[in-house]
Amino acid sequence: MAAVGGVESQPALPDFRARVRLMEMVAMATIVATVAFLTLYPIYYLLQASFDVGLPDTRPPTAYGIANYAKLLDYPAIIWNTLLVTFAATAMALVFGFMAAWILTRTNVPFRRALDQLMTVPYYVTPLLGALAWSFLGAPESGFVNQVWRKLGGTEALIDMTSPFGIAWVMALFEGSVAYVMISAVMQSMDPALEEASQVMGASRRRTMWRITLPLVMPGVLGAAIFVFAEMLGSFAVPLVLGTPARFYVITTAIYHFISQYPPRIPLAAAMGVSLFAVMFAMLWLYRWLTSRTSYVTVTGKAFRPRLMDMGGLRWWLFGIVAFYVFLSAVLPVATLAYAASQKIAVAFPAAANFTLEHFRQALSINAVRVAMWNSLILGAVTATLGVAITGMLAWIILRSKIPGRGALEYLAMFPQAVPRLVFAFGMMWAWLVFPLPIYGTFWVLLIAYLTVFMPLGVRAISGVILQLDKSLDECGQVCGASFLYRLRTITAPLLRPGLLAAWLLIFVASVRELGASILLMGPDSKVMTPAIVEAWFSTSSELTAAMALIQTLVIALVILAFGLLTRRVAHHGAGAQ
Amino acid sequence: MKKRTTTRRTFVKGSLAVAAMPLLAGSLSQQLAAQGRPVTKVLDFNTTADVAKAETEGEFTYYSHDSEPGIAGILAAFNKDFPKIKGKYVRAQNSTLFSRTIAERSANKFTADVIQFSEPATALDFQKRGGYTRHVSPQAEFYAAEHLSNPVGDYFWVGVTFAGLAYNTEKVKPEDAPTGWKDISKPVWNNGVNVKMSNSGMQFVQWYELRKLYGDKFWSDFAKVRPRGFDSRAQQFERLAKGDDKLCVLAEYAGYLLVKERGAPVEFVAPADGLPAAPLLAGVADKCPNPEAARLFIDWHMSQRGQNHQQTDKFLYYGSVRKDAPAMPGGKRLADYKLLSPIKDMDTFVASRDAFNKEWNAMLGL
Repeated sequence: MAAVGGVESQPALPDFRARVRLMEMVAMATIVATVAFLTLYPIYYLLQASFDVGLPDTRPPTAYGIANYAKLLDYPAIIWNTLLVTFAATAMALVFGFMAAWILTRTNVPFRRALDQLMTVPYYVTPLLGALAWSFLGAPESGFVNQVWRKLGGTEALIDMTSPFGIAWVMALFEGSVAYVMISAVMQSMDPALEEASQVMGASRRRTMWRITLPLVMPGVLGAAIFVFAEMLGSFAVPLVLGTPARFYVITTAIYHFISQYPPRIPLAAAMGVSLFAVMFAMLWLYRWLTSRTSYVTVTGKAFRPRLMDMGGLRWWLFGIVAFYVFLSAVLPVATLAYAASQKIAVAFPAAANFTLEHFRQALSINAVRVAMWNSLILGAVTATLGVAITGMLAWIILRSKIPGRGALEYLAMFPQAVPRLVFAFGMMWAWLVFPLPIYGTFWVLLIAYLTVFMPLGVRAISGVILQLDKSLDECGQVCGASFLYRLRTITAPLLRPGLLAAWLLIFVASVRELGASILLMGPDSKVMTPAIVEAWFSTSSELTAAMALIQTLVIALVILAFGLLTRRVAHHGAGAQ
Repeated sequence: MKKRTTTRRTFVKGSLAVAAMPLLAGSLSQQLAAQGRPVTKVLDFNTTADVAKAETEGEFTYYSHDSEPGIAGILAAFNKDFPKIKGKYVRAQNSTLFSRTIAERSANKFTADVIQFSEPATALDFQKRGGYTRHVSPQAEFYAAEHLSNPVGDYFWVGVTFAGLAYNTEKVKPEDAPTGWKDISKPVWNNGVNVKMSNSGMQFVQWYELRKLYGDKFWSDFAKVRPRGFDSRAQQFERLAKGDDKLCVLAEYAGYLLVKERGAPVEFVAPADGLPAAPLLAGVADKCPNPEAARLFIDWHMSQRGQNHQQTDKFLYYGSVRKDAPAMPGGKRLADYKLLSPIKDMDTFVASRDAFNKEWNAMLGL
């Protein structure tokens, strides 16, 4: 093994080792301090706001109390709506993600590589784009599907995407892709020998999947469940676009209305946001409890070659299932938006007089949009790169180090996920406004905000893979005298590479499509793209919004494509060198 | 661009011109003189801004509630007249803009040069907190006193947006078409009506004015048709155009023009009892980093040039309250409409904000 071979050349001087150990401690302490600072600093201001019962819009608060929390009881319908949609959407997303991950990583389904690429497309799409597309398709009156249905003789709406089920469906379609990325990263790192052993013992494919595959990938599934649940809890664009027309409000849309009315009810919104901590941490506790009960190690020192199950004729059915998901979550929405964006007023039945390319021309002519797109890409790349480094180390500290309080660190890292971004953004704004360094209103504050809010994404994406690595691999290097950093570089990082690359991609895309924090934190010289798209939806038309969202999606797709080619070339180069 | 000169002669001429203005109220001219700033003529309007200094500053930051294309348009129009001054902007909804600005100021961060709100209550609150730099513009003479802040110089009415009713001509039978405000509570509109959310200053004005006209029960009767609330006129008209809703109860004329241009089957109705009208208010922010550029922008915005731009830009279409304002697109002037605006009872209006929020949120199921 390279690591063991490399260790032989390590100096064996005790003071050198002590220095290295000291450096490791300093590195760990730095990471812990950074994470604690990034999360606790804005949370302090958020908590302060949630207890603010003093003069409105006066900072710091002039009086404190619990009246804002007491007011939450006035909104039982909103809390019920939120939980209903969140649980339904999480369950659906996990089913979509797990099925697709299993089919594409464990079976010999045709066009596997192409489908794998396509499965990630829904995640590249902003949630607003997905919501808009399904609104075009399934609004009770003007939805294209319902227009066609009525033309065929139907009287009532065939589908209603503004219903709670419709909202959960759309949320699940797009988050299913996230679940897929997280679960498939775990499945890729799983030794197929266990599944093969099951089949050799006479178990059917289905039984093998339920009794062997599912339990083994449980950390990934649970990690994805926690993350997707949190995403759903904080989901804003879909309930806003689809729920508002039906007078269906969830906590995020209620928060949005409370902070945008005059006088703004920020303390109540903060209390609503902070109260979600309880729900989120209950889920996280459950996750930790479940993953601590047993070992999920599948990647050991023993070499394995990923082998796929031969599904016979069933493989085409499996292909159909994944292809249909891709069609519903990527092809249909993008095609719908392209169709809608090329009409003056989007209707189901095309007419030459209604055709226009004006929306695309207008989208491309807005100078601020062009600048914002470029800014978003740069910020996305920097956030993803730094984010993977920080969250990778963080995940390692949480799962593999012996430092006291590492469990608390995981809860800490999940804080930003537990609060809707719209509210957390206020905490960040107040925090970074009073920070002694002049970073407010610059790219730096956006970068810090993105690193903070996407910390849970990185930790969750990388943790699932780390849990699968046998500690003995690292311990072997340690026994041979390799330092932590050396082991990290030569043993852990190469084994984690699929997970790290997946995390980079997830954080990059999440950054480019970020909305909640950007709206409040971007300054006149640091504009980013997604707020401009949402703004277009508010102030111009769905058709122009569709054109802008399509352009953004296309640019992201090109970047992802370039990233894929680059990483493949690097992998080839690495293989060649070895 | 025409050549500008700020010589002693033009200064004296400008000052004399101001002194000779017969229509200028005494207090206004005194306040203008008290500023001790020379009045110069630039292009075709008077300003008290030091244009050379403004060009040295080279930029200013505009905080506004307007739409992105609307803001970009007005900054581009200004930049066309003053190529050496670049306008940057921060855009947010009225209340978020207010919260952000207040938070910035409490942290001693002063980045806004010009700030525009869409609701008088917000502008008054901002004024009470000392948020504006007093700048009495020579353009103020073209505005009625009620369209300027009290005292003059904190903010002015950039324009007004007004609303009537609008309905979808394909979804509404001619005999059901509304003609007046009282028609909005008819059962025929059940689950087919839209209004704006309580975050809208315009919606607040409509609630206040129609309640004043028809009594407290007017809105509780309307609540029975289960209206849907939206954030912007663009969303309201889009739903109307596509037939998702049959009637728009807060149909801003500016939004109507925009959707009509796209060929939507929508008709505007101006009820005889009057059209609620809400102002947009802009002023120079206190301790702004680019004060001369900010003053110049405000003077330009108040002038015929700025007002003409906002009346004709399709993302704004705000009616000008300037006394000599040209006609709006469509040929009508603001004065041609009977507008309902809480100018005379502004204090009562502002004080009723909480009552409105409560009633409106409850009506929309929030």
